[in-house]
Amino acid sequence: MADTLPLAEARSLVARARAGDFAALEQLYRAYERPVYTLARRLTRGADDAEDVLQETFLEVCRSLKQWRGEGSLWGWIRTIAASKALMRYRREKLRAWEPLEDDVARQAEDVPLQMDLEAALARLPERSRAVVWLHDVEGYTHEEIAELMGMTTSFSKSQLARAHERLRRWLGAGAEQ
Amino acid sequence: MSATRHGTVDELLAVRDGEGSGWAREHVATCRACAAELQRLEQVRAGLRALPAFAPPRDAWPVVLEAARRERRRRRFSTWSGVAAVAAAVVIGFAVLHRHASPAPEDVALQQAMAESAAMEQMFESLHPDRRALSGQAASVVADLEDQLAQVDAALNDTANWRGAPDRVAGLWKQRAGLLSALVDVHETRASVAGL
Repeated sequence: MADTLPLAEARSLVARARAGDFAALEQLYRAYERPVYTLARRLTRGADDAEDVLQETFLEVCRSLKQWRGEGSLWGWIRTIAASKALMRYRREKLRAWEPLEDDVARQAEDVPLQMDLEAALARLPERSRAVVWLHDVEGYTHEEIAELMGMTTSFSKSQLARAHERLRRWLGAGAEQ
Repeated sequence: MSATRHGTVDELLAVRDGEGSGWAREHVATCRACAAELQRLEQVRAGLRALPAFAPPRDAWPVVLEAARRERRRRRFSTWSGVAAVAAAVVIGFAVLHRHASPAPEDVALQQAMAESAAMEQMFESLHPDRRALSGQAASVVADLEDQLAQVDAALNDTANWRGAPDRVAGLWKQRAGLLSALVDVHETRASVAGL
């Protein structure tokens, strides 16, 4: 996604927000609430988790506004915070060992050729595979960046992407993604 | 590597992303099946990018605003109360040391600078800076002044400065009073413009 705010406007709003101007902070929030929520929906299991990530992201933005130097894209900076917050949930969930079960469910379903639309097929992917696909194919993160965000290796990111595309191929059927 | 086999999904994704091996790129140029699969992978990516955005079901702004207000109060209180605690300790130290003697001129200068800073801080707080909307230029000036203030506060919180360079400490307090005075000016100007 392209940045919704021109850099000069982003710099001005951030300066005002840093000085305690809550109207400027709200403008920042309004500019990025949809992209952050959309990213969170793609990286988490559902609407409730995504809402939590949206709040956690902007609370972190409020705390860390001084760290944005005004040099790179503001959306790029906020997006990395949002992705970290969303992916942090994997690490917590991983401790509860739910992921093998989710993978098993996907494996049972993948033998059946389907004619799904892309939205449904994406939603059907296991959470980590979906996150890798979204971060790489849509947000443009490199495998190295994804590996760092997820606390995994680069080869893990590559293999998750390949497996996800194999599944999408089966579920979408020929030409169904267009 | 055999030239007769087809590219794996992994290899074709690498070609799609401009990172494919020489073999994979050459193979795709001559193999219709792999070229079609590569095109399919490109179409899936384009389809993903074209999916509609989600709108949050509830407005989270009130929660974010309240948290931002709390954070700002906490930060201001923790920074300035730290300085105040160090200052109080030093003032008590001076009082004990000079109980039976006239205070040295540098001690008097230090206490004057601290009193001036405290008066300015009180004036600044009375303007309720958290509740004010600022223009972009004023906000930029305020942010710069607050950054400088944070640096001075950090220096004042470092007790090594107090022990090793008392002259510098008086200078820091004067600098602090000056920065707070500038902040008061910015907010007062804004208040008069807005008719507050």
